[in-house]
Amino acid sequence: MKLKLLVLYILLGSSLWVSAQSVSCIYSVSGKVLDMDTNEPVPNAVVQVDGVEKYTTTDFNGNFKIDGLCSETNTLIFSSIGYADSREEHDHGADFRFYLKQEVTGLEEVTIEAERAKQKGTKTIAQVTVGKTEIANNSTQSLAAVLSKQQGVTFISTGNNVQLPVIHGLYGNRILVLNNSLKHGFQNWGTDHAPEIDITSANSITVIKGAAGVRYGPEALGGAIVVEPNPLLLNNPLNGKLGTGYETNGRGYNANFKIEQGTENWSYYANGKYIRVGDRQAPNYNLTNTGKEESAFGLGALYHLDKWDFKVHYSFVDQNLAVLRASFVSSPEAIRRAFNAETPEPANSLSYSINPPNQATQHHLGKAEINWWYSETGKLTLIGGVQLNKRDEFDVRRNSELPIIDLDLLTYDYQLEWKHPKWKGLDGLIGVQYFSQNNDNNPGTQTTPFIPNYNTDRFSAFAVESLDFGKNTLEAGIRFDFETNDVRGRETNQDIFRDNYSFTNFTASLGYVRQLSENSIFRSNLGSAWRTPNVAELFSFGQEGFRLIYGMLRYTETDGPIPIDTSEVTLLEESDVEPERGVKFINELEINKNGNSHNLTVYSHYIENFIFDRPIGVSGTIRGPTTAFIYNQVDALFLGMDYSWRRAWTKQISGTFGINYLWSRNIGDNEPLINQPPISTSYELQWDQGKWWVFDSSKWSIRPSYTFEQFQAPRTVTIGSLIDGTSLLTPDAEIFDFTDPPEGYFLLDLSWNLSWNNLSAGIRVQNLLNTSYRDYLNELRYFADEPGRNLIFSLNYQFKSKKAMK
Amino acid sequence: MKTIELFKNLRLLALLFGAITIVSCSDDDDAAPEEENELEVITNVSLVFTNTADATDVVTVSAVDPDGEGIQGLQEDNTAITLSLNATYRLSFVILNALDLDDVEDIGEEIEEEDDEHQFFFSFTQDAFVNPTGDGNVDTASDPINYEDEDDNGNPLGLSTTWTTGATPVAGGNFTARLQHQPDVKTATSGANDGDTDFNLSFVLNIQ
Repeated sequence: MKLKLLVLYILLGSSLWVSAQSVSCIYSVSGKVLDMDTNEPVPNAVVQVDGVEKYTTTDFNGNFKIDGLCSETNTLIFSSIGYADSREEHDHGADFRFYLKQEVTGLEEVTIEAERAKQKGTKTIAQVTVGKTEIANNSTQSLAAVLSKQQGVTFISTGNNVQLPVIHGLYGNRILVLNNSLKHGFQNWGTDHAPEIDITSANSITVIKGAAGVRYGPEALGGAIVVEPNPLLLNNPLNGKLGTGYETNGRGYNANFKIEQGTENWSYYANGKYIRVGDRQAPNYNLTNTGKEESAFGLGALYHLDKWDFKVHYSFVDQNLAVLRASFVSSPEAIRRAFNAETPEPANSLSYSINPPNQATQHHLGKAEINWWYSETGKLTLIGGVQLNKRDEFDVRRNSELPIIDLDLLTYDYQLEWKHPKWKGLDGLIGVQYFSQNNDNNPGTQTTPFIPNYNTDRFSAFAVESLDFGKNTLEAGIRFDFETNDVRGRETNQDIFRDNYSFTNFTASLGYVRQLSENSIFRSNLGSAWRTPNVAELFSFGQEGFRLIYGMLRYTETDGPIPIDTSEVTLLEESDVEPERGVKFINELEINKNGNSHNLTVYSHYIENFIFDRPIGVSGTIRGPTTAFIYNQVDALFLGMDYSWRRAWTKQISGTFGINYLWSRNIGDNEPLINQPPISTSYELQWDQGKWWVFDSSKWSIRPSYTFEQFQAPRTVTIGSLIDGTSLLTPDAEIFDFTDPPEGYFLLDLSWNLSWNNLSAGIRVQNLLNTSYRDYLNELRYFADEPGRNLIFSLNYQFKSKKAMK
Repeated sequence: MKTIELFKNLRLLALLFGAITIVSCSDDDDAAPEEENELEVITNVSLVFTNTADATDVVTVSAVDPDGEGIQGLQEDNTAITLSLNATYRLSFVILNALDLDDVEDIGEEIEEEDDEHQFFFSFTQDAFVNPTGDGNVDTASDPINYEDEDDNGNPLGLSTTWTTGATPVAGGNFTARLQHQPDVKTATSGANDGDTDFNLSFVLNIQ
């Protein structure tokens, strides 16, 4: 067998550091090389640093370490007799594992699974990273849909275009989305606004499953999603990618490109994409007005000086998302029909046109970052970011050409972080942050603003420290936040109301990691978190999508035929609204033995003053009767577990089994909660066929999955009984839903990926059996089935110039 | 040498902080959202039956929506429509947006201006009237209703209709008036389920 090369790009820490001089050759890289199938260490593998005369071989246990590197980012070349070639993959961090695949049938591509270095402050929290390849294979999907294959993660949606990630039952503004190290500044409320992020521009996406509020801020109460941008590699030859695709359901087409290059001191990237999808089809009917159009582009550059890195990024996303027309009704008969329809109306012939109801959003993000390695082990990072989010929502109504919601949200974010040199064994990060948001309504909606104008200013400071002793790591963190809010809105009679309020809070976390044995690791984290009620949870008023919804300060209970009165606004100070406070305890056990990898995560999460929206009844407006919801506050408990088991059955076939279970309850009132993820389970079988016919690689996967009915759903009060008044409800009445939870469903997905030289192609089939089903976490489950079978074709061309530019 | 480097470094930091400060000094306005004119809202609807032979014989029933976009819809008052036997009444509507009491809007005028986008439909207890006969045109659009007005296309509108009672009394009957908004939908044959419902009000009908 020939000697084959395996190439990895490695990023240590969060940024680049290549020195032209040899003044600061202080970096090292270490890890362990394992056989991908057997998980056995690979001894005597050659590990070489590309472009530098440095190499070593692994010891008997597969371990290696290379010292005296001048660059924080290195390209490593692994070679060992009998192992296959690869061109994958970026991964971060020290002390991680490299998996080499045994060569069986000659040249073939290998997936390298290296454990990503965890960000400071999250080392002890269970987390999972989705890499570039998986993102590229799912480039037409939403951020949430790509992440939803991970255990413990799913998504909640409003129709087919708006999907929000759910971690352990929590979503929306309890999950912080960190895009390019900035909190994504968007209208993050309700279930009908998904983060406007172009996933094809991401280098990796990490889901942090525990309370990460200490490190990232209040909204990370339920977890965080960290979207890493292009790493801006130095000494990176010009390379790029062109991709295009077509999907049968919705007749969607798309194209994307990426180009990047790095010299000794400079690096840049540019990327862009365009997607258009028409109306989707459920197995039995067309889903009228469910198309979307999306374009995005991004640019970034790095300038590198001896001890400095200067980075700038800009990205832009433009979306126009249609919402199922059948979710809007205008009469009592129509609403009764819509909630029980065999076929949602209208079900017109397929079209690309996007009509009301729809949402048009533009998101700009600009960021500058400076890293300064002021000493051998100390680093200062300064980040400044600005985001502008413009959102127009259109409803079916008179003047439907006017947006019913028209908001501009301007976000500034400044962070100064100090990675201090090791001090008495402590390794840590200390930071301060200033975050401000300014939300403005644009006039001309001809309705009372759904969200008031507001300004939020938040000052924060945090410290996270970790300590290694033997096979143990302890990590602890504290955080202080001070937040002020200035809110200005309109009552229905157009009188102005104003509210000012501020909150001060401390949060803390404590975590522990222990290497139990050669093959197993245990992680445990206890984190507290708090969150100010979001402006929408306090002040939302009126129509939002297919429903009416009222914030906690916008309604009072009355004795009338309708149990709440919405004509007056209560000031926060005079209300009994409290901030949310949560404690999450999460434990993870990871065992890799004899070709089996097990991962078990068990968690409990208590949230005091948990804010959620729930149905309250049916209400009449000029646009017809519609479902009405209110925000409410209760004490909630979440207990759950995620388990995954990966086994390499043969050298070419491996399988991954996963199951998620979550029990959640409003323990204050001893009632169920609503919109909580049901139990789901899946098995993905992958067959890496290797070289096949003229192709360099051929990979198959089949993924059956079963999602159970939500057995913990609230009782049902039918829409009919609400309309004719036979059911009268008050905000204190037991929680209910308008329909029973949908039945469980079985789905089968299939994929086949091929590569030939610089070309790669894939066919994926979603819902192969064309199953009719409804998803409990889709807000439009009341009205229509999910889309049926979808064949997704993709074609990618990659190019790379051989020489690095100097 | 080292001092120079340090100076260079500090200068770079100063420059960055300077840039950020400039950005941060953007205006922090505390304006409220501008006043919105809620064109869509109907807060008051009155059905006014006037005896064509006796202008003092007026029967009025109303519905009120006190909070516009708020949770409450139009609520019919509890008075019944009580008409005399053997009489002809002209039914007209008063439709208002009275959310802002200083600026009450006449939505009826708007409907008249947009007459090619609106139509009133009615349903009532079978054979309550001698003219029109039947039970109204909500179920079947071609059923008789005595429209007294029409749009530019010659299609009925319904802001004005006539109703003739007979000699048979009706007690505890039903009378429903429905306003449909039918932009680009209204034709000679469009019915009560086309377009969107602006309001659908039901009252008790007595003829005695």
